[in-house]
Amino acid sequence: MKVAVYSGNIPSTTFIEILIEGLSNAGFEIYLFGKKTKDVKYNSNVRVFPTPEAGSKLFLFTLKESLKLLLRNPKNFSKILKKIYSKKNEFRSFVRDAGLILPIINNTPDIFHMQWAKVIQRYPELFELLDCKFALSLRGAHINYSPLNDAKLANAYKKYFPLINGFHAVSENISKEAEKYGAERKKIKVIHSSVKSDLLKKESISYANEDILKIISIGRFHWKKGYHYALDAMKALKDESINFEFTIVAQGEMPEEIVFMINDYQLSEHVKIINGLPYESLIDKLCKSHILILPSVEEGIANVVLEAMAAGVPVLTTDCGGMDEVVTDKLNGYIIPVRDPEMIVRKIKEFIDSSDETKNKIKSNARTVIQKDFSREKQIREFREFYESMSAG
Amino acid sequence: MKIGIVLPEAPGYSETFFNSKIRGLIESGFEVIVFSGSRESEKYNFEHSGAYPVYKGKKLKQLLLTLFVVSFTFLKQPGRVIRLYKLERKSDRSLSQSIKSIYFNSHILQRNIDWLHFGFATMSLNRENVAKAIGAKMGVSFRGYDINIYPLKNPGCYELLWKNVDKVHSISNYLYEKALSLGLRDNIGKEIISPAIDFSVFKAKADLGKIKFPLQILTVGRLNWIKDYETALSAMKILKEKEVNFTYSIIGEGSELERLRFAVYQMKLENKVHFMGKLAHNEINRKMTESDIYLQTSMQEGFCVSVLEAQATGLLCVVSNADGLKENVIDNQTGFIVEKRNPGKFADKIIEIMKMTDEERMQIAINARNRVEQDFKIEDQKIKFKIFFGDQIDR
Repeated sequence: MKVAVYSGNIPSTTFIEILIEGLSNAGFEIYLFGKKTKDVKYNSNVRVFPTPEAGSKLFLFTLKESLKLLLRNPKNFSKILKKIYSKKNEFRSFVRDAGLILPIINNTPDIFHMQWAKVIQRYPELFELLDCKFALSLRGAHINYSPLNDAKLANAYKKYFPLINGFHAVSENISKEAEKYGAERKKIKVIHSSVKSDLLKKESISYANEDILKIISIGRFHWKKGYHYALDAMKALKDESINFEFTIVAQGEMPEEIVFMINDYQLSEHVKIINGLPYESLIDKLCKSHILILPSVEEGIANVVLEAMAAGVPVLTTDCGGMDEVVTDKLNGYIIPVRDPEMIVRKIKEFIDSSDETKNKIKSNARTVIQKDFSREKQIREFREFYESMSAG
Repeated sequence: MKIGIVLPEAPGYSETFFNSKIRGLIESGFEVIVFSGSRESEKYNFEHSGAYPVYKGKKLKQLLLTLFVVSFTFLKQPGRVIRLYKLERKSDRSLSQSIKSIYFNSHILQRNIDWLHFGFATMSLNRENVAKAIGAKMGVSFRGYDINIYPLKNPGCYELLWKNVDKVHSISNYLYEKALSLGLRDNIGKEIISPAIDFSVFKAKADLGKIKFPLQILTVGRLNWIKDYETALSAMKILKEKEVNFTYSIIGEGSELERLRFAVYQMKLENKVHFMGKLAHNEINRKMTESDIYLQTSMQEGFCVSVLEAQATGLLCVVSNADGLKENVIDNQTGFIVEKRNPGKFADKIIEIMKMTDEERMQIAINARNRVEQDFKIEDQKIKFKIFFGDQIDR
């Protein structure tokens, strides 16, 4: 079966690359379209059709793909080009759009799997031009809040969701949100993301009472990550003279809001910001922390929580998005309402005060959940079922 | 005496704050010219000059224009251009930075003024030597952002400003103190001139002290993190849970609408909260007269004119203890001050106000209006600015 995993970029984000690797290992023929920003070594059954970014290279590429189309499908040639041209009625954008769309038409897969819902709004003509099944992943912000503030996007979802043959939801929670835009329940399959099994063998440090409590958060700087709520909690911990160190590993420029709060709360001694880390060092840093907190207000299911649980690092997460599908309070971690710094403080104290036995129990329960429900094998098996049921239907 | 005021943009018709200040200066007998970032020649009720444009990504065009403008300015004002160049080099700026500085300040170098006044401290960056080059005195106004936030990410950014400035204007005592802690010397002249209210625009609402249901709660201000609307919304969630009958309106626009819309959705407040967008001044005033409580949850404020306007209208103001606000509202006399970032306390305070008698509330509203009338008169502001610029300083 030929599956196009479409995100628009080659390579894509980490979890999409993981999916590509897993599916190709499982024997699927994978097609990748879009802009190529870096060379990646894929399995031999992954075929890459990169579109040049701009300039004469793009023009020649589009010309070549047009000729291919003329040879393969002379009957519909002008109809297809007209359709793409009519999008903007402008030559430059035609070259750009045709450069992206034509390779997909010339190499039509069995299933065109869009990784981001916003693709629908950008290339709605694909539904008309491609003769294949359409799959769509329901992930984070694209479903949870972008359409709230963008009526056009919400309308595009309502218009095109009925044309999708199968939805992949990253959590139960997000499938409910997508239903509000007309995604049919019976077309949705929840497939949780997965973590590498070697994380299960990692050794992580344990907290003893005289230690400086090492708290860590991982994730880019963005309001949805709720770091401002975490800082409220850190101020309260400091006011209660709890000995702690809070590390945020985040990419990008530190927002003014965070700079201001650290200064205003006089937390510069307690808060360390690390501007991104390579994967191995990140896991290393994680394993040298006593607790990971996820103060987010919105998530699908945060991978970093799964990774921490696998590595034996206790987690404290808000119950945003699908987090409660993974974490059960006091059983395999701690879970609290969103936007509630007082609860972060209370749970951190609960963690500090818990017995070694409880700490170990939470650790091992977390690993069991990950092993059982968030393994690579399970994820790929479920994708296989998802694609097979789509092409049968 | 002629004053050049440097602003990011020339104030539009609706921006009363700068317009009234400029009008005040003209009425006090000063000549005023506004230097802004745009060369568009709209109609202003004052003289205006825009900076020469910056073409990003068009190096050749920029180079040719820079050469032309710098040569032209040199022919017109050779002494000033040479002086600025020397001062820039003395301030450890590179050759190309110094040339750029001449280009960016050409529109100022060509004018004859006695004062060069920067409307914001950040506007003075890379222009610190211009006043000296043209033989004018240098003044600067502080805003909350200038002093509280910008230097956090750019430590030492005002070193040259502190060295060259002749007089500073702060909108609150707190900001002035903060500027001292950032390196401003205390022997530099200063005036604390808070924003003022035009009472011909801000009429008191009818029925001072009476509240209605649904209770009308209002905030006016840009939608950004500084205003901490998330705390306001969390407070609204608590009010809703306690079955208070209210609506909350937010007037303003900004980069964080998506963040706030999501918060409203997540807290199930869609029927309670209204984003009204940006409104004209008279519409804001009308909305204020229709409201009961004015809420300001800000994390930080230099002073906050909107809170002053709300007090002038006779609204019951609930504000955070962000520093500038503590000079704006007197707790339990002209309004109420609540710990910032604490939604529970904001909600409690609103409920407390609802439980007060009409007379108690009326007293607060009257106190607030009286104090604003007494201490924040536009006439006083005019006089203070006259003193600010009129006061001679030996060069």
